[in-house]
Amino acid sequence: MSGTNVWTRSRERMRRFPELFAQCSGEAAVYGKCVTATTTGRQELRKDLCVKEFNALKTCFVTAAKKGVK
Amino acid sequence: VRWDSKWSVICLLTWHSKTLSMKIVTFMALLLKLKFIFVHVRVCNLLTFWTYFHRTFPLALDIGCGKSHIAEHLHKELVEQLFLTDISEKSLRNTRESEIPTHCVMADEEFLPFKENTFDLVSVSLCCHYNPSPFPKINQVLKPDGVFIGAMVGGETLYELRCSLQLAELEREGGFSPHVSPYTAVTDLGNLLGQAGFSMLTVDIDEIQVHYPGILEVMSDLQGMGESNCAWNRKSMLHRDTILAAAAIYQEMYGSENGSVPATFEILYMIGWKPHDSQAKPAKRGSANVSFGDLSKIGQPSTKDKS
Repeated sequence: MSGTNVWTRSRERMRRFPELFAQCSGEAAVYGKCVTATTTGRQELRKDLCVKEFNALKTCFVTAAKKGVK
Repeated sequence: VRWDSKWSVICLLTWHSKTLSMKIVTFMALLLKLKFIFVHVRVCNLLTFWTYFHRTFPLALDIGCGKSHIAEHLHKELVEQLFLTDISEKSLRNTRESEIPTHCVMADEEFLPFKENTFDLVSVSLCCHYNPSPFPKINQVLKPDGVFIGAMVGGETLYELRCSLQLAELEREGGFSPHVSPYTAVTDLGNLLGQAGFSMLTVDIDEIQVHYPGILEVMSDLQGMGESNCAWNRKSMLHRDTILAAAAIYQEMYGSENGSVPATFEILYMIGWKPHDSQAKPAKRGSANVSFGDLSKIGQPSTKDKS
C-alpha cells in the first residue's frame, strides 16, 4: 500500500505508546495497585471500580501525547 | 486457523543443557531496534532426544515444519528421507538446506494426506496447539514400532498476558473475551497420547521466561511469530483504554525492578511409540520368582562365605 492511510497512521501512533507510557509510570503504578488489590482482597473486580485512578492515568497519557506532537 | 506466512523471520536459540527455566533477555535487542527478533524454540531440545535412539529411521515426517529448522540439523545416520509438511506455501519454498533428501507437502495437520503405516518417525514442533488433538491421525500414519516426538506450547504459557488483559477488560468494559488460547495442560497430555494409541510415553515440561520492555512489545512479538488470535469468535478490536489499563496492570503485577515484564512460555515435550511386539511389555501377573520378603536379606553376607 503506497502513501499513508488510516492503518499506517494508527500504527505510527501505537509505536509511541511505550515512550508515553513510561512517562506516566507513577499513575500506572497507582492504577495497577488498585486493580491487583481486588485479586487478593475480598472485593470483586467490577466495571469502573478504579475509575478515578484510571482517569488520572489517561489524562497523564494524553498530555504526554500532546506534548510530543508539538 | 492459519499461520501468516509473512512473518517467517525466525531467530533460533540453541542450547544443549536442559534447564528448568531460562531467562532470555530480549530487552537489549529491542533497544537496538532490531526488528522481529523472535524467540522461537523449535528444534534443539527435540534433537537431543533423537540422539538417544540408536536407530536409523528410513522415512520421517515433520509436521508444521516452518522453514524446516529440524531438517537443517539432521544427519544421514538418523533419518534417510524426510517429508516436510506445513500449511504455509511460502515457508515451504524457503526451507533451509539439509543433507537429507526432503519432499515438501503443503498440508493441514488435521488432514494429513498420507496412508496408514507410512512413517517410522513423526515430529511436531510448536505448531499443534491450535488442534484439539492431532495425535490419533499421527498414530495412524506411523508404522508399528514407529516413534512420535513432539514439542508443543502448553500449560501456563502467557498467563501474565492473559491475566492482565482479563483484569483490564473487566475493569474497563465490564466483561472479558478470550485473547489467549487455552492450552493443553501437561497432566492431560499423557491421557491424550494414551487414548490415541501410543505406548511407552515420555512427557516433559520446560519453562522459558522472556523479558520484554512492555505489553505492546509482547504482543507485537507474538504477531511476528505468527501467533495472533485466530479464534472464530474473537473480538476484532482492543480498546485504547483497555490496552492502557492492561499495560499498567501487567507492569504492576509482574514487572521487575528494571522495568521489564516477563512472558512465560511453557513447552511440553513428548515421546510416544506405536505399539509393536518387540517392545517391552509389563510382566504377567503371578510370574514373579522373587518375593518382597527377600528384600530384607539383601546386604547381609551369607554364612557360607565365612571361611
